[in-house]
Amino acid sequence: MSSTIFYRFRSQKDTGRIMFDGTGLTVFDLKREIIQENKLGDGTDFQIRIYNPDTNEEYEDDSHVIPRSSSVLVRRSPAIKQFSAHGMHRNTGAVGNATRYVTGKPRVFQKKQ
Amino acid sequence: MMETSGKNSLRFFALGGGNEVGRSCHILQFKGKTIMLDAGVHPAYQGYASLPFYDEFDLSTIDVLLISHFHVDHAASLPYVMQKTNFQGRVFMTHPTKAIYRWLLRDFVRVTSIGSSSGGQDDNLYTDEDLADSFDKIETIDYHSTVDINGIKFTAFHAGHVLGAAMFQIEIAGVRVLFTGDYSRELDRHLNSAEVPPLPSDVLIVESTFGTATHEPRANRERKLTQLIHSTVSRGGRVLLPVFALGRAQEIMLILDEYWSQHAEELGGGQVPIYYASNLAKRCMSVFQTYVNMMNDDIRKKFRDSQTNPFIFKNISYLKNIDEFQDFGPSVMLASPGMLQSGLSRDILERWCPEAKNLVLITGYSVEGTMAKFLMLEPDTIPSISNAEATIPRRCQIEEISFAAHVDFQENLEFIEKISAPNIILVHGESNPMGRLKSALLSNFASLKGTEGEVHVFNPRNCIDVILEFKGVKIAKAVGN
Ligand SMILES: [Zn+2]
Ligand SMILES: [Zn+2]
Repeated sequence: MSSTIFYRFRSQKDTGRIMFDGTGLTVFDLKREIIQENKLGDGTDFQIRIYNPDTNEEYEDDSHVIPRSSSVLVRRSPAIKQFSAHGMHRNTGAVGNATRYVTGKPRVFQKKQ
Repeated sequence: MMETSGKNSLRFFALGGGNEVGRSCHILQFKGKTIMLDAGVHPAYQGYASLPFYDEFDLSTIDVLLISHFHVDHAASLPYVMQKTNFQGRVFMTHPTKAIYRWLLRDFVRVTSIGSSSGGQDDNLYTDEDLADSFDKIETIDYHSTVDINGIKFTAFHAGHVLGAAMFQIEIAGVRVLFTGDYSRELDRHLNSAEVPPLPSDVLIVESTFGTATHEPRANRERKLTQLIHSTVSRGGRVLLPVFALGRAQEIMLILDEYWSQHAEELGGGQVPIYYASNLAKRCMSVFQTYVNMMNDDIRKKFRDSQTNPFIFKNISYLKNIDEFQDFGPSVMLASPGMLQSGLSRDILERWCPEAKNLVLITGYSVEGTMAKFLMLEPDTIPSISNAEATIPRRCQIEEISFAAHVDFQENLEFIEKISAPNIILVHGESNPMGRLKSALLSNFASLKGTEGEVHVFNPRNCIDVILEFKGVKIAKAVGN
């Protein structure tokens, strides 16, 4: 049996849906699906964020699971360019764009101490 | 998510066109009024990826949307905004812009849908029906007339650039903002050059496409263009001019038609055909024929004196599609789209580029990431659009002579000085040329630094605020971030 998560871009009237098998999708997989479904590109020039439409809370943790039949709000924003000359941010996973969802390498979420 | 700025602060916010050429779309907020300027797409991307960052702004709060001209990077997401989002504002453009917009975007819908057949999913931003529905709701404004919508006053001025292109001077509570759109100060064969509005402006939003670059004089460029084409066809070569179907293409045609008439004998008396290949060529040319009265004195005079329409060309024939094209010898082909992404011009490129005697002549501005821009690097091969696996050898000559009708540095600076606005916001330019223009302007106005007349120059990225503080009409301070 196939499951569904509903999503709507903040600026759009219509709602889209992602179909999958199982009881839920991780934030990572959901973002990846939305990017692919809408052909948003290779991820270098934008970032994508998803929110709980009721609380407006952002789902920041890539490993968080969104249960099936949920609705989410999607926001496509410009990538945050890294100006660090030393490439300091390159390995920390803090890059402000959506490439990791396209290449398929999830970032390990760092819990705040 | 949206910061509400103080009562007297004017907020500028680019949803697109900030440090890039493409997807122009800017927001202005002042005294509780909200204006959107342009609604374009990015020519290097397709579908949603090409849109301005609409999720970053509540489109339902927009009172008025002004479209500067019909080019896709300024107008092609308008049907999307009007039909697919909760936008409820009123939309204005000039008569010729509206007349051309309809046909042009139909072509755009078709071209983008052909290019996206791979995934099975339809990634058109909108349909022909959306386009027709949006068309009916668009209102028109005449040059030099002022419209007042609940305290937002705006006046349209000639911008040069293309038929119908407008600059808008917007006035809210005594503060005036001039948005140039794409503009040209050069008198060409058919258009008026951009005007300086009679009233001063507090803020100038100005294009920076060419940054600090300088154009060669017009006469030189025309001579180079005609000589290059003439010598290529004389040695049996074919010439491809990728053009945007409407706008600058008509200027190139005026040049070529005249040259062909003057050099008929050397060119074998009609033995070398010129084609204009575009599905909407005929229909859109009738728009050009209709709006001769909005062009410059020169072409209007020609129209009156000769009793013949200058846009009915003697030496140029229309080509609807490539199937009816008999490719037997040297010829000159103007074909759209201008950046060779897909469609007619791309098909012809792939057919002609393996031959060294052929020529591809780029006359427009080429956006980063498009085939036209890639060709400028003179690559050995180019990817084939019909067969993703295949590459095609590139041996043909590649030349660029710009007839893009954007101001160069000198023209831009002269205009900026004439407007003499204390706040300048740069848009419509890649980061580097825009950055260089900013430095050049700051050093040009350096002597005013710290005085009453200090000039502030901003080059904001997309979705980064510029906040300008006004007290009544008088400027208190300018803060950017
Ligand atoms: Zn333009
Ligand atoms: Zn433009």
